[in-house]
Amino acid sequence: MNKLIANEMMKLVARKRLIVIGAIVGILVILFTFAQYKEVQTQRERLGTDDWRDSLQQQIIDMQNRLGSNRISDEWREQIQVSVQQLQFYLDQDINPNEPGAVSFVRMFIENSTDLFIPLLIMIVASDLVSSEHTLGSVKLLLTRPVKRWRILLSKYITLLLATSFIVAMTGLISYVLSGIVFGYHGWKAPIITGFVVEGSNVDTSRIKLISQWKFLLMDFGLVWFVAVVVGTLTFMLSVLIRSTAQSMGVMLASLISGAILNNMVSSWESAKYLFMVNLKLTNYLNGISPPIQGMTLLSSMLVLLVWWAVALILSFIVFTRQDVY
Amino acid sequence: MIVLGKKSVRYITIIATTFSILWLLSFGWAIQNYYAGASNNEIKKQVNPKTIENKDQAFTIVALGDSLTRGTGDDSGKGYVGYVIDDLKQRFNGHVIVHNLAINGQVSSQLKEQVKQQNIQRQLAFADTIFLTIGANDLFQQGRTLENFDSAAIKIIKQNFIDNMRIIFADIRKVNSDAPIFFVGLYNPFFEADHTGVTSPTVHDWNRTAEDMSSSDPRIVFVPTFDIFQLFVNDYLYSDKFHPNQQGYRLIANRISPFIKWEGEGK
Repeated sequence: MNKLIANEMMKLVARKRLIVIGAIVGILVILFTFAQYKEVQTQRERLGTDDWRDSLQQQIIDMQNRLGSNRISDEWREQIQVSVQQLQFYLDQDINPNEPGAVSFVRMFIENSTDLFIPLLIMIVASDLVSSEHTLGSVKLLLTRPVKRWRILLSKYITLLLATSFIVAMTGLISYVLSGIVFGYHGWKAPIITGFVVEGSNVDTSRIKLISQWKFLLMDFGLVWFVAVVVGTLTFMLSVLIRSTAQSMGVMLASLISGAILNNMVSSWESAKYLFMVNLKLTNYLNGISPPIQGMTLLSSMLVLLVWWAVALILSFIVFTRQDVY
Repeated sequence: MIVLGKKSVRYITIIATTFSILWLLSFGWAIQNYYAGASNNEIKKQVNPKTIENKDQAFTIVALGDSLTRGTGDDSGKGYVGYVIDDLKQRFNGHVIVHNLAINGQVSSQLKEQVKQQNIQRQLAFADTIFLTIGANDLFQQGRTLENFDSAAIKIIKQNFIDNMRIIFADIRKVNSDAPIFFVGLYNPFFEADHTGVTSPTVHDWNRTAEDMSSSDPRIVFVPTFDIFQLFVNDYLYSDKFHPNQQGYRLIANRISPFIKWEGEGK
C-alpha cells in the first residue's frame, strides 16, 4: 500500500500540478494584497485619519444609510442589519475587527476562497487522478498488476487527501508570506469575537467568545480543509465515472458556480439546503454571518456535506472495481 | 523547482501527512468550540489604547443629523458638508478631517441615542466644529404631516423634538464644551405643493422654537435656510421636491464656511 501511495505521489509531483497551483495562488494573493492596500489608502485619504475606529464608525454609518433606502431586498437588509450590530459590538468593545497584518489577510483570503477558489485548486488535482490514466492508456498497465483494484483506487484517494492538505497549507503559507511584505507579519494575537447568534435581523451577543486570531485561523483552516476534501471527493467520483478530465472538471465547475449564484437567491427554496454547493461556506458560521437559507446550521451543513462525501466515495469504489477497461 | 527524486516526494508526503492530521484536528476543534457554548472568560472591556491625538495637526469636523448633512439630492454627493470642506481644505492647506455621521431619515430621538454611543462621544470630544441638521423628518414625516394637517399633533411633535434637542446638546457639551455647533434650520420644501398655506407658518414657528432653545448656549450658531428657498423653491430643490440640489447645498454651505476659523490657519 505504501508503495502504491508513493507511486501516486510521484506521479503527482512529476506532473508539476502543485507548482502550477502555487503559482496561481501567488498571483492571486499579489492582486488581492494590492487591492487591499489601495483600499486602505483611499479610506485614509477620505477620512484624513489612521484611526481604525473612525473608519469602522464610517463603515457603520454607511451601512445604516443603505438600510434607509427602500430599494434593497429584505434579505439584504437583514444581512446589513446583522453586520451593523456586529461591527457596533466590536466598536463598543474597542476591538479592531480588521487588525492590519498578514494574519488578518490570510484569514480574509481563506474565508473568501472556501466556496470557489480552494475547491477549484483541488479540482485541478482531483479531476484527472483517475481519468488521466484512461486518457493516457496507462490504466491497463496499472490494472494488470497483481494488486486488487480497490487498493489502487484507495491509494489514489489517499494521495488526493494528502494533496488537499498540502494545497490548503500552501495557500495559507503563500498568502502569509506575500501579503506580509506589505502588511507586516503580525496579528497572531489580535482578539477575534466569535459566537454571534443570528436570528433573523437580530444578533444575540450573550454567547460571545473572545479568542486569539491564530486560534480562529486554525479553526478556519479546519473547516476549509473539510470543504476541500468533500469537493475533492466529488470530483474524484466524477473522474471515475466520466473518465474524461475535461468533462468531470466542467461538471464540477458548473455546480460550484451554480452554488455561488444560488447562495444569493435561494432563501425561499428551502430544500436547496440539501445541495452540497450551498453548504460550502462553513466559515460563515464562525463569523456569525447568516446562512443563505433559514434553519441551516454548522451541524446541518456538515452532515449534508458528509452524506455527499460518503455517497461519492462509495460510488467511485463500486464503479471502479466493476467497470470494464478496454 | 522540485527535482523529481525519491527524496522530494518523500518530503512532500511527510509534510502533507502532518498537515492532514493538523487540519483534521482543527476541524474537530472548530466544531467543538462552536458548540461549546459561552466560555467562562468573560470579555473584559479592553483598556483604551492610545487614542491618536490629531487635534493640532488637522481641523476636525463632526457632522451629525439626517439626509441634508448626508448630502442627499446633490449629484456630486457632497452636500453642504462637502462644499464647506472644499472651502476649508483650500484655506487650511488640506488639513481637514471630517466624520460625517449623518443617517438618512434620522429623527431627533434616534440622534439622541446616536450621540450617546461611546465612539461617537470620542469623536465629538476631538471635534473643532460640529454641524447638525435634524428635525425635518420629525416635522414632515415623509410628507404625511402635510397630507393630514393637525396642529395639535404638530405641537406634541415639536415638544418631543425640543426635549430631545436639549438632551443632545447637553450630551455634546458633556464631552466638548467649546466647539461651535452649526445648527441648520428648516426650510419649506412644500411652497408650491401647499395650497392651504399652512406649512410656511408651521416651519417658521418650528425654526423660532429651535432657535430660542439653542440660544441659551452662545456657541450654538443657528443657521437659517428658510429664506434661501423662499422665492425660487424649485430652482434649489432636487427632483424629489424635498432635498436641496447642488445649488441649494452650495448656498447653505456659504452660510457656514465663512464663520469657521482655526488657529492653525495658514500654517
